[in-house]
Amino acid sequence: MATFIAIILSAVLTNNFITAKTYGVCPFLGVSKKTSSAAGMGIAVTLVMVLATLVTYPIYTYVMVPLKIEFLEIIFFIFIIASLVQMLEKIIQKLSPTLYGAMGIYLPLITTNCAVLGVTELLIGDMSAILGEASMNIGWAALYALGAGLGFTIVMIIMSGMRERLNCYKTPKALAGFPIAMVTACFICMAFYVFSLISL
Amino acid sequence: MNLLEITNQTWITVGIVAAIFAGSALLIGALILVVGKVFKVNVDEKITKILENLAGANCGGCGCSGCSGFADKLAKGSACLSDCHVTSPEKKAEIAKLLGIELKDEERTVAVVHCNGGIENCADKFVYKGNPTCAANNSLLGGNKACSYACLGCGDCKAVCPENAIEVTGRLSKVDPDRCISCGACIAACPKDIIDRIPATAPVYVACSSKCRGKDVTSVCKVGCIACGICAKSCPHGAITMKDNLPEIDYTKCTGCLTCVEKCPRHIIISRKVVAEETPDTSESIEKAAE
Repeated sequence: MATFIAIILSAVLTNNFITAKTYGVCPFLGVSKKTSSAAGMGIAVTLVMVLATLVTYPIYTYVMVPLKIEFLEIIFFIFIIASLVQMLEKIIQKLSPTLYGAMGIYLPLITTNCAVLGVTELLIGDMSAILGEASMNIGWAALYALGAGLGFTIVMIIMSGMRERLNCYKTPKALAGFPIAMVTACFICMAFYVFSLISL
Repeated sequence: MNLLEITNQTWITVGIVAAIFAGSALLIGALILVVGKVFKVNVDEKITKILENLAGANCGGCGCSGCSGFADKLAKGSACLSDCHVTSPEKKAEIAKLLGIELKDEERTVAVVHCNGGIENCADKFVYKGNPTCAANNSLLGGNKACSYACLGCGDCKAVCPENAIEVTGRLSKVDPDRCISCGACIAACPKDIIDRIPATAPVYVACSSKCRGKDVTSVCKVGCIACGICAKSCPHGAITMKDNLPEIDYTKCTGCLTCVEKCPRHIIISRKVVAEETPDTSESIEKAAE
């Protein structure tokens, strides 16, 4: 149970993918103008993160490690994630057109998203700081990926909400548009920094 | 087992890595192909044909996300062909034939702003220094215009117009009927709901949206409708009726005799043939009338 809480807290808050690790900044700044699109992007990223972990983690442990080709991990993972997203897009389009309409358009954007690659890379590395005595297995890995996705979604929604509210106020001309978004991002990161002071 | 220690020659090692990638690429490629085959979405040929015939403006005036969304809805029968105001009647007939429905006779329409206030004619309630959009202005006590049905003139309609058909002069929006494609983007964007469609051939239009009584209108606007009803009484064809303190023109009965334009004491019914050239004249005569 302690491990469960530690993994979720760490993935969502203390080591949040956007604010602490600065992964996935392109969707964070690019798709955060409207809350609806930010939520769609967040859910799509979460889904792909979990699925990618479920596929890459076993492949790494049961195929790549015995064959001693671990050094090919990055290029292999990109390979796997890209094709996985391709297949996922087709499957969703067939099974649920509504879901495809809400989320499908973001899937091709995630193909080479660093947050997704980041979570798969991180999980095959040393995770002892979070896991404590427990050893890594695919269940914990998927949970961490889920938490990372949730943290990503939360920050995306906070950011888009703030940017929507900002539209109602007059910003100085020099700061209007993208610069004020950077300032907003800075404030969110500062707020999330406090979470990193929690020791798990 | 260590794949790379089979040999100590470098080029064979490279070859093995390349082979691993070629193998996995083939495998994954085959997998994608299989998934693609199994989960193939059958796109209706009708939809593609409808899409070819639509104007392709992607203006969103129909309420769908672009023309492809509209074509999808048309094929399902959940949208009406008349929701699209951009596609030409010939192309619409083509689509109607594809869908097996009959096309009603439709005239081309254009958007028009039912207000002639602006800075000169309509007083301000307060000085607004906020974000220069109508939506933001409107959120503060319904905007800074003294008349709550007045054009705020911040140009939200201009910003959304895909054809640059709207011009804002003296805090009053005006639609260029030659450029207007009647997509409805401005109608949806206007927080005051004072933009509406009229037939492109309409000889006159009502340049006021105020539903207030005459006394309230005269206190804030020089060119507001006081609901005197003279137009309705004087129209020889009975095309004008009074509704909510505003004249309502039935364009099927209007013959363009311009009696209402002459009789209106406030000059709020505007002849569309003259509107482009003689705007200064009308404002002068309004000032005289106000004096």
